[in-house]
Order: sequence, then structure tokens, then C-alpha cells
Amino acid sequence: MAVAEPVPTPLADYRATEASRWCTVTGLRVYSGAQTLTIANAVAAVLALAIGGAFGVAIGLTRAPGMELLGSSAFYASLTGHGVAALILWPIFFEVAAMVFASTILLNARMFSNTLGWLAFALMVVGALMTLVIIVSGDASVAFTAYPPLKASQIFYIGYLVFAVGALLAIVNFTLSIAKARAEGVLEGSLPLITYGVACAAILAFLSIGSGLVALLPAWFYSAGWLGGVDPIVYRAWFWGLGHTLQYVNVVAMVVCWYGILALALGTGPVNQKFTRVAFILYLVFTVPVLGHHFLVDPSLSTGVKIVGGTMLGFALGVPSLMHGLAVMGGAEAHLRKQGATGLFGWLKRVKWGNPGIAALAVSMLIFAIGGWNGTAETTLPLNMVSHNTMWVPAHLHQVVTGGTTVAFMGFAYYLIPLLVRRRLWGFKWATFQIYLYGVGMFVMTMAQSWAGTLGVPRRTWEIGYSGQAPSGWDLPMNIAGFGAGLSGVAGALFVVIMVATLLIGKRTDDPAELAPSGLA
Amino acid sequence: MAATESPIASLPPGWSKRLPRDERLFMWLIVVSALVMSVFSIGWLVWGNQNVPTASYRTTPERWGATVSAFSDKYKGADGKAHVPPGTDAYMMGARYVFYPDLVLKAGHKYTIWISSVDVLHGFSIVGNHENINLEIAPMHAIGATITTPSTPGTYLIVCNEYCGLGHHGMLGHIIVER
Repeated sequence: MAVAEPVPTPLADYRATEASRWCTVTGLRVYSGAQTLTIANAVAAVLALAIGGAFGVAIGLTRAPGMELLGSSAFYASLTGHGVAALILWPIFFEVAAMVFASTILLNARMFSNTLGWLAFALMVVGALMTLVIIVSGDASVAFTAYPPLKASQIFYIGYLVFAVGALLAIVNFTLSIAKARAEGVLEGSLPLITYGVACAAILAFLSIGSGLVALLPAWFYSAGWLGGVDPIVYRAWFWGLGHTLQYVNVVAMVVCWYGILALALGTGPVNQKFTRVAFILYLVFTVPVLGHHFLVDPSLSTGVKIVGGTMLGFALGVPSLMHGLAVMGGAEAHLRKQGATGLFGWLKRVKWGNPGIAALAVSMLIFAIGGWNGTAETTLPLNMVSHNTMWVPAHLHQVVTGGTTVAFMGFAYYLIPLLVRRRLWGFKWATFQIYLYGVGMFVMTMAQSWAGTLGVPRRTWEIGYSGQAPSGWDLPMNIAGFGAGLSGVAGALFVVIMVATLLIGKRTDDPAELAPSGLA
Repeated sequence: MAATESPIASLPPGWSKRLPRDERLFMWLIVVSALVMSVFSIGWLVWGNQNVPTASYRTTPERWGATVSAFSDKYKGADGKAHVPPGTDAYMMGARYVFYPDLVLKAGHKYTIWISSVDVLHGFSIVGNHENINLEIAPMHAIGATITTPSTPGTYLIVCNEYCGLGHHGMLGHIIVER
């Protein structure tokens, strides 16, 4: 569906300032600075996922009592590394890639400042490396939450902070790029839907990282001995201002990827953009107060605050996700009906299920829906008391973040990366297989984890034998969860291989049908 | 410059008009279901079978250590465990890597168990089959949970489920329920 490039006259000078090309698939103008920086961030994201995934598989296989892969010290170091790499580094690098993409390429514009963009990227890479190296050395086994009075090496906190400053600069560059596109007349009227969604994610990321600075600065001072103590309950409030809000950055970015896949694979969008934009805004309204659901059994807030902040606003936060679910599926259905699909489910037959983008869309929406339910159940006070810090919690967060966000990012990357590097996706069929295998692995793992959670198996614990006193029913679900983690590990490794191969040896092409294969059967 | 025709960046004309009926209906449906769930969620606190009211107050690790020692000395039996008569509040502490003291409680009675940490964050988890009780334990804050002991006597395992250091997996305690 290549389209003729619009050639507005006032832009002749603007174009002369930086090398650029015309994208044969989308008809958008791609400036070289934005293109290179998007690719750099995406590559860093894939590497972070590789590291985080490797830690994750090691954790899953260690927690299976039939396997116990790692010793206790290596396990707790891996646990910390998994949280940092898979929950902080991978999504934020990918979101910065999305920010650069959405504020430049989607607007036919240049970046506000290539220097600022690369400075942000460099800081993020340096911070990420500092944190990962100190974790592997074993001097920072405090889990990614790093609750004081647990102390990690100073380098851990400094690495976190350097990364955070880099991410903040990336957000600044994103905002100024949009402002510049508008000031120079490249952008008129409302933002395109995807840029709008990414802007919502950026606002949440800004709040989130700000809150993280408030939590981690005192923790660093405490670890350095410059501060006598940090109240862990106060720290928890600020830390989850980072940790929780960041998960909604992930959710918003995931939804953006759903629309991205919808546009590139099926060539369509939501039926009504106002509906989807309202849903994006609702995330901004409800996300921050809902961090209260992390404290439902804490010795801090009163029961009334817990019910309003943790439970009721938590239900409200389900509203935008359900709206997006309707909008994505409804958009696909309406488009396919226009092309002649009939009957109640006839439109589902017109989708190519062997397309990695379609596979990712389906798997991501399904597992995210399960995780959303799983987490919502947990916000009810008595149920939270049953499930808090049991395996129910990792089950929930892997459903939403891994099954939901990570799979959506993978699917979108299968379209975005070929477009940016102008190479055909290497191993198209393997890519589809990878998505389904990853989904099955995550499904098996998280279901077994939920089962273990209701039995009371603690999370973040190396070994659960408790010198023979643990209930005998604990081993089976944890072994099954380990099996699921292994499956996802294989599929995750396959994703990294496909991405690297596409970057290095994918066939060079400008043919739209090869760059963005249609998901229509 | 107009947005391109490509669906990834296009903006259909008239997108900002009032939402169509089916979208509005869907929004109302989910808003109403969120409200219904809120009512059920709160109702559970009134009519549910497993409700454990909690309360909390501020303390310090030093004061908490003294409180638990005094309590433990007063009720300590020959087995080294604290035998708590019904109607008495129990005091425990989480310390790397043990919950202290083990409690001996009478079956079928209401007790309030107060607990705090004397070092780092811990997770207090009474292991039950689908009926776990989990509390976050923090230094400088005491949390009290009012539980009704089971009518069946037995030994109930307490494990730590908040990562507290390299010996975390060995951190446990016991509540013994006797007739």
C-alpha cells in the first residue's frame, strides 16, 4: 500500500538540513539522525531483553525444586538482575525507541537535537552497564526494589540514577521534537494517534522516573553512610511511584504497539479515534493514585485509603484497558467486514494467523487480559492478604508485563526494525513460531505460579523446602512453572537471534510487500 | 502539512465528534461493572469468611526488641515457646533470619498478633491451603492482625516472603494451635 509522497513547498529548506529518505511503506519522510537513534535504542532494548531473559530462565529453573540450577547467592544476584534488565532496561530502551520514532518519523520531522538524543542514549547505556556489572559481581543482591535498610554497593544506585537522568533527557528531547515540528510547520493539527499514545506514556514515564529519583537518592546516601536511616515504608511509597507507574508506561506503550501492528499488518486503525484517545487519557488520570495497591497489607495507610486508592481506583484503571481491547479488535473487525467478511466470526478467518504481527497481537491481548483479571482480583483487601508476596504476584506481573507488553513489543519490532534498516525480516516463519511458543511458555508458567500462589509458596525465595516443613503440594506447580519458563526462554532466545540476523544479514529491499508483510489472509 | 494517508499516521476527518452509541454503551457497561465490583469488594469485608482486620502504629527496633523480650519472658513455657492465653495480645518480631518467638495458641479463639521487624523488611506469611495470611513487616512500624485460630489443632508454618538478604529462604517461625 505504498502511497505517493506529498510534497509541500515550504519544506524544501527544512529537508536540506539533514539527510533523509522516503519510506516506501508508510510514505513518511525519515531523517537519518532519528532513524539511527531509533535503531540504537531498539538494539539496546533487545540486548537488555536477552540479559534479562537469561536471568529469568535461570531463576525459573532454580525455583523448580526438581532442578535447582543456581546456588543461593547466584540466585539472588540473578533475581536482582532479572528485575533490572527485564523490567526497567528492556521496556525503557524500547519506549525511548518508540519516543524517537513517534516524535520524528511519524511527524515527517527531524529530531529536536541529535546531540541531546545521543547524550540521553549514552547516559542510559552507561547507567545500565554500571548497574548490571555490580549486580553480576554479587555486591548488589537487594532485588530490583532495593528496599532499605538493605544496602547495595553505591555503584548500583549511581547506575540507576544515571540511567534515570538519561531517560529523562530522552523525554525532554521527545517533547521538544514535537514542539519543534509544530513551530516549523511540519506538524499541524492534532497528533497522530500513535504519537498521542506515546506522549501519554512519556508523561507517565516522567512522573515515574521523578518518583524514582526521590526514592533512590536517599537510598544511595544511606548506602554511602551520609544518611542515618531511611524509613522503609516511606521508601516503598516513592519506589512504587516509580515501579507501578512504570508498569503503566509499559501498558500504554503496549497498546501503542497494538495500534502500530494494526496499522502495518492490517492497514487499518480504530473505528473511532476519539474513543481510543479518551482511553489513553484515562490512564493518565488513574495510574498514579493506584500505586496504593502495593500497600494493602502494609503497616501504613488506613483501611479507607487502601479501599479507595488500592481497590476502587484499581477497578477504574481496568476501564481504559478494556476500551482499547474493544477498539483494537473492533478496528480489525470493521476493516475486514468492509473487505467482505461475513457472519459473526468470519472476519477472524480473513486474518493470517501465520503472520508474526498478528500472532503477537492475539497472544499479547489474550495473556494481558488474563493478567488484568488476575491483578484486579488481588486488589480486594481479603484476597490481597491471601496472595501478597506469594507466587500469585509474579504470575500477575508476568502476564501483564511479559505476556502483554513484551510480546507486543516483539511483534511491533518485527515490523519496525525491517522498516528502519530496510531489510526483510529474517526467518518470517520462525518469528511466528517464536511468538506462539513464547505465549504458551508464559501461559504455562503463570498458571502454575498462580496455583502455587494460592498454596502460599513465597516469591523471591531460592529454595522452598524449609528443612522439610513445607507442604508437600508446593513442588509440583513450581516444577511446571520452571518448564514454562524454559519454553519461554527458548522462544526469547529465538527472538534475539531473529532480530540480530535481520539487522546483519536480512535481505536489503525497498519493496513494501517484503518490508511489511500483510496480515490479511 | 496534512498527515499522510498511511494508517500509521493518519487522522480521519471528524474524529473528534461525539462518540457513537455502541462505544458509549460499552463505556457505561465497564464503568458500571467497575462500580459493582467495588461494592462486592467492600461487601466482602462485611460478609466474607476470611477477614483479618489490621491496625498499625510506629515503634523503633530497640523498643520492639524490648517489647517482644518482655512478652516472651512472661509467657515462655518449658519448650521455649510463648504460650498465650486467650484474650492476650501476642508480640512477635522478624529478625534476619527468624520469626521470634514461636506462639502456642488455643484453638478457636480470637487473638491479635502484633509484629514488627528489628532490621530490614520482612514478609510475614502464615502458610495455609488457599487461606494464607500475608503481612508486610517493616522496621519502625508495628502491624497487628486479629485472627481467629483454626478449630483443628496443629503446627502452622510462618515463612518470610519479602526478600530480606542472602539467608531469606531459611527464615521461618511457627504458630502451634492446641486444644
